[in-house]
Amino acid sequence: MGHFLAFPILGLAAILQVTFMPQIRLFGGQPDLIMLLVMAWIITSPLEEAVTWAFVGGIAVDLLSAAPRGSSVLGLLILVFIIEQLKGQLVNLNIIVVFGLVLLGTLIQQITLLTILALNGFTIRPIEQFFYIVVPSLIYNLIFSLPAIGIVRRFKRVFSPRRRLSRRTINE
Amino acid sequence: MSSGTGFRRGWRGNRGVYFAVMLLLAIGLIVASRTGVLAPLENVLATPLNAAAGAFQQVALRLSLGLGDLADFQSLQQRNAELEEALARLQAEVVDLREINNDYGRLAQLLDYTTNAQNQEFVTADVIAVDQTSALRSIAINRGTRDGIAIGVPVVTPQGLVGRIIEVGANASRVLLITDLSSYVSTRLQTTRAEGTVNGQVSGNLLMTFIPLGEDVREGDIVLTSGLGGNFPPDLVIGQVTSTRQAELFQEAQVRSLINFDTLEIVLVMTNFQPIDLSVFEQEDGN
Repeated sequence: MGHFLAFPILGLAAILQVTFMPQIRLFGGQPDLIMLLVMAWIITSPLEEAVTWAFVGGIAVDLLSAAPRGSSVLGLLILVFIIEQLKGQLVNLNIIVVFGLVLLGTLIQQITLLTILALNGFTIRPIEQFFYIVVPSLIYNLIFSLPAIGIVRRFKRVFSPRRRLSRRTINE
Repeated sequence: MSSGTGFRRGWRGNRGVYFAVMLLLAIGLIVASRTGVLAPLENVLATPLNAAAGAFQQVALRLSLGLGDLADFQSLQQRNAELEEALARLQAEVVDLREINNDYGRLAQLLDYTTNAQNQEFVTADVIAVDQTSALRSIAINRGTRDGIAIGVPVVTPQGLVGRIIEVGANASRVLLITDLSSYVSTRLQTTRAEGTVNGQVSGNLLMTFIPLGEDVREGDIVLTSGLGGNFPPDLVIGQVTSTRQAELFQEAQVRSLINFDTLEIVLVMTNFQPIDLSVFEQEDGN
């Protein structure tokens, strides 16, 4: 079910990302809804489902952006596999762990995107962009991370009623 | 059930291989997209997303403008009074300019002279998505090759230049804004005709550089496209000089566009402008 849920949820998130989110911009930063949803999904789901989410979310947002298609997929995949590795070591999912993952995810996404853009001949000013885009995006992502996890958990409860989600799921 | 578990265990056992394969797939996707192999598929996938984004964008802009107006009510009252005063002053100017325009029209007719502006053809387009916050500043519009749009053509509004088309699909296109870091526009000042290059900044502002040291640059000067380089037609408004700075070899000026790129709703695409490809000369020089 998780594979199929990716299409409507991430499709809608990609559209919100390029329509509503620019209206609440802080300097050059805005929430990265796709990254937050994919991160929330990998925390509570198997790797294969999270990889589907990374591909669907990355392609959806790239289709609505000027970046080369697949740019966002690359960053999301790296994030998914890093969180998958960390899962076994996380005892429970508290706010510090979530914020740590958001920090990691934001940095991975932005660094990957900037690298791909630079390789494709676009002008990049990493230090300026770090303070103007990455830091404000990080602040927004921290704010939006807990609602994103809540939304994903609610979806999972609705569509997988028999499966009880608990902190133990993280260690599975 | 057991086969599913076995499959999962199999993947977990080879997680490194799985990761490498998926990464290669993503890199392959980027390469295929850049070479244009996936263009037909991208068009098919992008069509419903663009249509939905267009509808959402209208709602987002209405909401944003409505909330902004509410917050700015007091400042709007003051601004209204200032604008009324300016309107009265400008109406007098309009009368004078109409007279000059009439004279110009008659003289142009005599010389059988037509300006480029009279020959320009435009297609109106709705902005359906905004991507101004990542490393690229661009917008998506709901017109494509079916409407005669091609890569490189300029996009404008009555307030001035917006950018140029960098990607075009059947019924949607992407515009690289002049505020993007990768955007360079050859420009000149309206008053002194001093030339320079306007470049986008990380903050989304515009900076006019390479203005010769001896030139007189003043706050309030209007910056226009010069047409040099052949990427844009001449005399499109870029913005107004807000401050100047003297560097060692040239002058720089901060330029404020008259366009609010956050709330762009409708743009005009100049369909009959053909950008000039100067790379032909570079190749000849190389030979």
